[in-house]
Amino acid sequence: MKYMRTASFAKLVEALGRDYDIYAPVQEEERLLLQRLVPGENGGGASVAWNPARLGESLKPIWFQTSRVVSRWTAEGPEAGPTPRPRAIIGAKGCDLAALGIIDKVFRDHTFQEPGWCAAREQNLVISGDCTTCLDSCFCTMVGHAPHPEAHFDLNLSPLEGGFGVEVGSPKGEALVADHADLFEEAGGEQVAARDAARAEMTERVEAQNEPHAVRDPFAQSIEKHKSNRLWEALAATCVQCNACNMVCPTCHCFFLVDVAGEEGSSRLSCWDSCFEGGYARMAGGGTPRLQLVERFKNHYHHKFVSFPKNWGVTACSGCGRCIDACMGRIDKRACLHRLETEWLPSDTLQGVQ
Amino acid sequence: MKNPFVPVPAVLEAVIDETPTIKTFCLKPAEPIPFRAGQFVQLEVPGLGEAPFTPSSSPFEPDRMEITILKTGLVTNRLHELEAGVTLGIRGPFGKGYPIHRFEDQTVLVIGGGVGLAPLRSLLFHLFHEPEACGNVSIKYGSREPAEMCFKRQHASWGERPGVDFTPTIDRPAEGWDGHVGLVTTLLDDLDLDREKTYAVSCGPEVMLRFVTWKLLDVGFPPERIYLSMNRNMSCGMGICGRCNVGSYYLCKDGPDMCYADIKDVPYALG
Repeated sequence: MKYMRTASFAKLVEALGRDYDIYAPVQEEERLLLQRLVPGENGGGASVAWNPARLGESLKPIWFQTSRVVSRWTAEGPEAGPTPRPRAIIGAKGCDLAALGIIDKVFRDHTFQEPGWCAAREQNLVISGDCTTCLDSCFCTMVGHAPHPEAHFDLNLSPLEGGFGVEVGSPKGEALVADHADLFEEAGGEQVAARDAARAEMTERVEAQNEPHAVRDPFAQSIEKHKSNRLWEALAATCVQCNACNMVCPTCHCFFLVDVAGEEGSSRLSCWDSCFEGGYARMAGGGTPRLQLVERFKNHYHHKFVSFPKNWGVTACSGCGRCIDACMGRIDKRACLHRLETEWLPSDTLQGVQ
Repeated sequence: MKNPFVPVPAVLEAVIDETPTIKTFCLKPAEPIPFRAGQFVQLEVPGLGEAPFTPSSSPFEPDRMEITILKTGLVTNRLHELEAGVTLGIRGPFGKGYPIHRFEDQTVLVIGGGVGLAPLRSLLFHLFHEPEACGNVSIKYGSREPAEMCFKRQHASWGERPGVDFTPTIDRPAEGWDGHVGLVTTLLDDLDLDREKTYAVSCGPEVMLRFVTWKLLDVGFPPERIYLSMNRNMSCGMGICGRCNVGSYYLCKDGPDMCYADIKDVPYALG
């Protein structure tokens, strides 16, 4: 582990501006917001705030824009869409980065690659940080993750007296440290111990606050045993299909392709989509396989906790809890998973396959 | 790797009127697009959008591609207005295609409904081109009325092939029709086929697939021997955009032809 003083961190951020568009948490009155740093407008490195927990919005758009031109068709014929400039993201947390690993399974480590995602994963720089507090909705430990980054960062910062412990997570991170050797020093054993103790304490805090939601069975088992819709209808009762949970989720990655005609030809855009939308799976001719909201609600859980693990070996949830904060129907995913395990209706087995 | 969102331009060389609502589009792609029978492509009308179709032509002729299309939505309505000479886009092929490797020495029972005969024609071209790929071929084809039958010009030659029988049916009696009348499922009542040596392959509207499946199960076919060309909204074609799932499967990647044994426990798999 390295050690970097707080003042050195600001210098490092300033230096990054040469190669990257920098996105970092900035204090805006009461709130911490992810902003692009524009020198002269919202300051440089000194304006970056430490975010003690994950930010309100997901960092997913840094790699996977809400809409992106994936191809164009001009007078010269079809061609690939543009690649955005490299971005440096500061303030990512363990749940944000666990989510990158989850989407990688689909968009990168697969027969087909999503070119925009792969380019962004390759060229973007991640400076992440340990959580130093947890929000009420945080439940990373329930889904096998931790309140500190475990992978997918270039540098990770752990707050210590007067600065940060710095863990290098990639060759890109190594090069960055080498290029700015004057900003880093070797960390001592006490500093490593202090970091580890803080991490252990944070992990315990997240586990303790989720004790009421603790489950014993695998999520997939709890979800699959409910063959009828009775409990699902109760869980979905306050869902107003606003799609917020999908939009703030760092692991949701559904998109649709839409062609837009312009003066110089047409562009094909990939746009975020939501599995709660009635028209999400509608086919030409009007048929839709999940007409009722309860079916779409169930499909959302089935995808995250049954299909995705079956197909990719991991759960499609990093436990960030943003879906809980964003839900205007006050639906808490942890509570739903708990009820799915504990409220087993005997009639479920009788209804069988629908 | 090639960017999977960028289509290959393809010139529309001819349009064949199959029925009042179905046309076959004969395309010449800028580069050959090799595909297996049952795989699908995304056909694009530049500036409007794209939609998934399984080619109806022979997989052994990748230089040209025929796609037979029912007029039923935004893209297909525009396609039906097009004339030869325009350039369209093709992405793909996607999906797995028919399990032809299982058909050796087996009878293949081909059950089509309406425009559902289109992907099956590609399969037939494969089986006719490589007769050793399977045993006998029995084709059952249902349409609403005689005017709505696809590929009428080829029916007679199919039925005359050794080891091949072709039986068409229409839903309701019609003037001038002296063939079988009744839904395509009525052709499955008295099948003289060994259930343990036959694979059933079906393509058509979802409601037809449902009743065909029930009928096949009724007459003794094991779920493992029933294959269905299923319908879902497929956008990316690569199993990454999310919408075409049937349980844990993505039709665009794991299908669109699915073994009934794999999907029978998925709620609403067949509507």
